[in-house]
Amino acid sequence: MQTDSNDPYGYYKKAAVFWTDMITMMSSKPTALSAVGPLRNLSTNMKKITAELTEANKEIVEFNNFLIEYYKQLSETWTNAQNEVTAKATEIPQNEEGTEAYKRIWIDNFENYFTGLFDSEKFSKNYNKLISKELDLMKRWNAVMDIMLKSANMPTKQEIDEIYEELHSLKKKISKLESSTKKSEKNDSE
Amino acid sequence: MTQNKFDPKIIGEFLNFSRNVAEAPMKVSIPHEVHIGSTQFDVVYREDKMRLLHFKPLTSKQVKTPLLIVYAIINRWHIFDIDPKKSWVKNLLEQGFDVYMIDWGTPTSLDKFLGFDDYVNNYLDNCVDFICDEADVKKISMQGYCTGGTLATVYSALHPEKIKNLIVTAPVIDGWKDTTVVSNLTKSFDVDKFVDTIGNMPPEFMYYCFSILKPFEQGVEKYLKFLNNINNEKFVDSFLKIEKWLDETPPIPGQLFKEWMKGIYQDNLLIQNKMFVGNRQVSLENLNMPIFTQVAVGDHLVSPECSMPLHYAVSSTDKTLKLYPTGHVGMIASSFSQKKVLPELGQWLKERS
Repeated sequence: MQTDSNDPYGYYKKAAVFWTDMITMMSSKPTALSAVGPLRNLSTNMKKITAELTEANKEIVEFNNFLIEYYKQLSETWTNAQNEVTAKATEIPQNEEGTEAYKRIWIDNFENYFTGLFDSEKFSKNYNKLISKELDLMKRWNAVMDIMLKSANMPTKQEIDEIYEELHSLKKKISKLESSTKKSEKNDSE
Repeated sequence: MTQNKFDPKIIGEFLNFSRNVAEAPMKVSIPHEVHIGSTQFDVVYREDKMRLLHFKPLTSKQVKTPLLIVYAIINRWHIFDIDPKKSWVKNLLEQGFDVYMIDWGTPTSLDKFLGFDDYVNNYLDNCVDFICDEADVKKISMQGYCTGGTLATVYSALHPEKIKNLIVTAPVIDGWKDTTVVSNLTKSFDVDKFVDTIGNMPPEFMYYCFSILKPFEQGVEKYLKFLNNINNEKFVDSFLKIEKWLDETPPIPGQLFKEWMKGIYQDNLLIQNKMFVGNRQVSLENLNMPIFTQVAVGDHLVSPECSMPLHYAVSSTDKTLKLYPTGHVGMIASSFSQKKVLPELGQWLKERS
């Protein structure tokens, strides 16, 4: 299979997975001999972690794009607000009242410009994409942690979540039972 | 050579400000060491992290129907008792009311699956039953503040037989009509992915959302004003208490946050009577008890347009809508609330308790 030469990320991804696979295969025999029993799974970690990190690289690039746009929106708004303040500042006298008036104009202008930005669709869309990419990266991090936890014979995030969910459902059942017992006790006493 | 002329008053003001900055650490308490809350209470009921507080009476004779205050899921209940002179709770006790308050506590990862059903049909319902038993009454009065107003509304719609009077203070009801910047962010927010990845809504992210509401007034001007007033003991005391309260917000359980975002903001189910809680449809038409809706005209957290539709959606014939010229916090913890909001509420409630 050939990789498109115009797609540097595709090349990087394939090269990383290819060499990780190769190294894993090349080292699997000696590792199998030296790592006895359940500890054998440690040798497969590297391959899984590399695959996660390789995928994460693409997400980091996308995250950075949204982050750049986020700061661009903030800095453009800042510049526009400051320009308007500067234009108005020339009319303000240089005395105590003037200082207070300048402060008021500065705060009101910046507040208006930034509220306008935060209220806009372009900000909402970009910000939510930025958060979404950050979550993708967190998912990768969680996956890497899960690989390590599994080989250390510890419960993974998914397994812990399952326990929490089970506990929540049990608590609910107990609460319902308690409440129906209470009701029947109340009815009996009446 | 030209000479720059400065008004000596400006220089004086600048020097004063610099001196205040240098002296602030000596004159002012460390914000996190400030004590908030002054009215005495007993913890009368606990369930998981939730606590039911019962405030000690301040009058010899009390109104028969107890009042349960359902606090919001953001920040802590202390805002209702932040300062003896601005205490909502103390004022109601002095008017002769028997006051209970829900403290939701601090959810951990273990609580990430708690949703509307748990909050409304379990915690809240158990608290109401407990109060009814303790006070030997069949119905209570309920007041909900902010997101607590939404919980109180949902509860009252599902259990109208237990609610004598409903008071909602700046409730979040019609998400599509909310004009705050927070509502703009929620429109394309992938809440499923957020909760699946992170679990509970972390306080740090909530601080971000709060910081985009009036960032320069709240983030710059407020602190300049504080530094200019560090010799004003009253001002400093009040400022630090509010700051401490603002800084302490617990996480929101993931499931509740998910249902909140979808049900209130994105799909706006509550006002359309399409919301389901614990497999039961929440119909605002079930709200047939006396209802008092309090709205702050200058509310930048929950816009009046978001709260007011409740008044028109209920079937109650005894309903009152009051608009106050103040803000979200000013409505419950200010000298204005002591002089105007609380006396009106007290009178309304006494006539119906």
